[in-house]
Amino acid sequence: MKFRVPIFLAVIIAEFLANAPMQSLARESFGPVDSGAERIDASEESDLEVLLGRAERSVVKLYGAGGARGLESYQSGVVVGDGSLILTSWSTVLDVDKVRVVTFDGRRLDAEIAGVDPQCELALLRVPNSGLLGFELDPQNIAKIGQRVFAITNLFGIAAGNEACSSQKGVVMAMSPLTTRKGAMKTLYQGRVVVVDVMTNNPGATGGALIDLSGRLVGIVGKELRDEQAGIWLNYALPMDVIKNSVDRILSGQANMAAANTQAVPQPHRLNDLGIALIPDVIPKTPAFIDWVREDSIAARSGLKSNDLILLVNDSRVDSRKGLERILSTINRGDSFAVLVQRGQELIKIQVRP
Amino acid sequence: MEKSIKTSIARTASAGWIGYARGFHLVAAWLLVFGGLAPDGVHSRAIGQSATDGLQGEVPSPLQTTQPEPAPEVLQAQKQRIEAMRVASQATVGVFGVDGQGGGSGVCITPDGYVLTNFHVSSPFGHRMRCGLNDGKMYEAVVAGIDPTGDLAVLKMYGREDFPVAKIGDSDRVRVGQWCFAAGNPFVLATNLQPTVTYGLISGVRRYQYPAGTILEYSDCIQTDAAINPGNSGGPLFNAQGELIGINGRCSFEKRGRVNVGVGYAISIRQAMNFFWHLRSGRVLDHATLGFTVATDAKGKVTVSNILESSDAYRRGLRYGDEILRLDDRQIGTTNQLKNVTGIFPPQWRVALRFRNETDTVDTAIRLQNLHLPSELEEIVKGESSEEPRAPPKSPQQEPEDTPNPESPDTEQPKPGEPPKGAPPGRGLRGKEGASRKEKDSLADRYETKRGFSNYYFNRVELDRIVALQKPRNQWPKSDEAWVLSGTVVGETTNVQTRVTDGVIGFTLGDKTESVDSKRGWTPWIQQQSLVSLAFALRTWQQWHQSGPRMMGEAIYIGRSPLVGRTGLFDTTRITLGEVDSVIYTSPETGTIECIELFTDNQSDPAEIYFEKVQRNGGREIPERVRLAFGLETRLVVDIARSEWEPGTVLDSGKEDAGKEKGGD
Repeated sequence: MKFRVPIFLAVIIAEFLANAPMQSLARESFGPVDSGAERIDASEESDLEVLLGRAERSVVKLYGAGGARGLESYQSGVVVGDGSLILTSWSTVLDVDKVRVVTFDGRRLDAEIAGVDPQCELALLRVPNSGLLGFELDPQNIAKIGQRVFAITNLFGIAAGNEACSSQKGVVMAMSPLTTRKGAMKTLYQGRVVVVDVMTNNPGATGGALIDLSGRLVGIVGKELRDEQAGIWLNYALPMDVIKNSVDRILSGQANMAAANTQAVPQPHRLNDLGIALIPDVIPKTPAFIDWVREDSIAARSGLKSNDLILLVNDSRVDSRKGLERILSTINRGDSFAVLVQRGQELIKIQVRP
Repeated sequence: MEKSIKTSIARTASAGWIGYARGFHLVAAWLLVFGGLAPDGVHSRAIGQSATDGLQGEVPSPLQTTQPEPAPEVLQAQKQRIEAMRVASQATVGVFGVDGQGGGSGVCITPDGYVLTNFHVSSPFGHRMRCGLNDGKMYEAVVAGIDPTGDLAVLKMYGREDFPVAKIGDSDRVRVGQWCFAAGNPFVLATNLQPTVTYGLISGVRRYQYPAGTILEYSDCIQTDAAINPGNSGGPLFNAQGELIGINGRCSFEKRGRVNVGVGYAISIRQAMNFFWHLRSGRVLDHATLGFTVATDAKGKVTVSNILESSDAYRRGLRYGDEILRLDDRQIGTTNQLKNVTGIFPPQWRVALRFRNETDTVDTAIRLQNLHLPSELEEIVKGESSEEPRAPPKSPQQEPEDTPNPESPDTEQPKPGEPPKGAPPGRGLRGKEGASRKEKDSLADRYETKRGFSNYYFNRVELDRIVALQKPRNQWPKSDEAWVLSGTVVGETTNVQTRVTDGVIGFTLGDKTESVDSKRGWTPWIQQQSLVSLAFALRTWQQWHQSGPRMMGEAIYIGRSPLVGRTGLFDTTRITLGEVDSVIYTSPETGTIECIELFTDNQSDPAEIYFEKVQRNGGREIPERVRLAFGLETRLVVDIARSEWEPGTVLDSGKEDAGKEKGGD
């Protein structure tokens, strides 16, 4: 078997071997809680300074896997509810055991993934005792066209340690569904989005907050999205009603992807039978990258290819090679199943029929 | 519905062009977003058609809706904004090459035409450029000083003595959530010499941006979403009141090509003004280092991880493991914060430091040291500067996708085959300069090369200014008679006498007298922190007044620097006298010497002599109270009662009355 490791994985492995997936954090560090205190008298601050000053305390910097071409190892997150939950985009950044959370005042916390909603590409992280104030998830906070909004994100990873995330101003241009013409816009989420006139959706911005002039959360900044034909980057956020619905589904377990509760079946699918070899399992959470596909196998006939990264199986999240094997062990050998793979920058749904 | 969106976008774009022609008001910002990059509307159509399908929601057509009259406060705010932009635009400078090629931005901050811009804007032009103002005229300009590390340069425009200037704001009061606007020459749009104004929000403050490429480092900078594009470099960032708060110079681009993606950075005006007089010295400036490095431990403590024993910080008692609490009165909680503060000060400046060791919390002040060797700076300047035009901006396809560091927006260059942009040659030039430009550079006598300088001419200008300041009070005898000062140690009855001649310096304290050669042999006395150093300073004072700074040794104007315990900045001149470097601080208003520092090397404390009281009498300035200190420790304070010139040599005619004079009380 030829040993081929995609560059993306090579970087992840390198980082894991160094036992330091957080090395990108080297330039930041803790700060005392009161270090944001270089503020002028409150009486001199405008309403907007106060508003953004408060809101940016509920947006966190997230660090995880990645770091190679086009795949950042950092993104943004929004603290919601009682402060123990962080809402963010579901991305490869979260493919780590613990997601590192760095708060506005420089504290580092470890977050666990409480659940993900692949349809909305949202994930909910749990951080006990964050001490942070959360945004209220009010489905009534629907952005309106022409409305003034502000995006608070850690775009480009500019903020580090006890620095606050970046604020940008914008206006809601449209409320519109994303249409996924194959090859044009690579996104799983196809529902309505809030389109804004400011370039919010930069590297690392995904998962950040879109707020209105009253400081209410009206959206979560989406992933970077580029029209392959026009070359245009779309700046958008998921609207509140979609977010609330998604969070409810995650919390109620309907969208929870954990396959642990499902019983193993006596005669499950096996990777070898399907004709798939994954890259070697060398790190705690080796991503489920297909190393090669045997000719004329089930996998080959279904359209799987080498270098595909398997993200979902029957809507269950595949967080690692082991996770994939576990999920496959619950599916009868005779049954077909759906997989979602990332091929380059493209997300492709494939039905595997035995 | 989709159609009406597109219509409104098209309207906005066309309104932008009208506004631009009228006077580049706020709508110019929309231009960049909607029209500036895609006049044919390709971009906006693409979003409308392929990103979204069937736009929802009601978009009232501007033609169909009757708009209520805006609230008076809205109209008032708009009026103020227009006025702030109008005033600020007058001081905004478009920087072009002498042949009109290329282009960047700048801002005029003195009525006689000193312009702040980026080093990376001025460097492709070498030492000569032309500056356009919104009075529609081009002014010939020459580079003064450059700061390659801090990405700043100062240019001098000629042709007026009443250039419009930007009001300097307070960048330490800039906060996230404040509105701001940038003015400048993005994409060399300002070929009609009218700046483009882009409005935005302060996105972040006190950002530290790692060196990009060579050594360009942005510390403590301001982040804004006001559109900063190639060509905006070097231009001003104003607060909502139209006060200058920063110099735009850098953007985060990454994978979307070299156009703004909502992230621009400005060098704080505080940093720029700290370096302004240094830049006027015509030197190639360096940045500072503390002489120690820090580590941040798990508890968030910033502690010294390495320290040079030759550093001033070490001499002030800082040791490995000590915790850094404050620098320049700013709390230090991270390495970035420490770098932020260090980056805004020139080397040799003293900065307040509070640290904690095992037993105490210590408040002190440390002298910053040079970050680079002179040879390193030379290499950098050689690498960056070029008279050749730079390559045209990269297309988005060529942009590396994995560049994590933000990059500096290049100055715009014309595409190959395109005629050079800019005003027609000679346009707006004042008669004589315009006519002679073809044959001979009208500013040829405003440029002098010298090692370590970007333009030595300006160093002479500043030194001449200092000499001229003192002239009315500088009628010293031009002869070599002894200058004798007698007094007492403050708070004691001990007598002190200094006697300086061109040959020997005598210093008497109580009943003990020391004699030292006037020209050499000072080093051991200063290094042993001898009180005789006081007399060396008085010898320097004598020479400065008698012969002027240039006759003493190699005199270089450094810039303006602070003095411990004093407010304001002081003109600083360094004179090399044999093995000793004298650094002389003079009042920017009167030219009076405030302090003389005598350096023997960089490893030991200089002697610091403060002239705390000076008597002005008979066309001369005579010290009345002199204080000697080493480190921050005062060693001797002397009240001078008598100042005499010992007869025996010929005095200048008419100056006899100054030969003997009684001191104050």
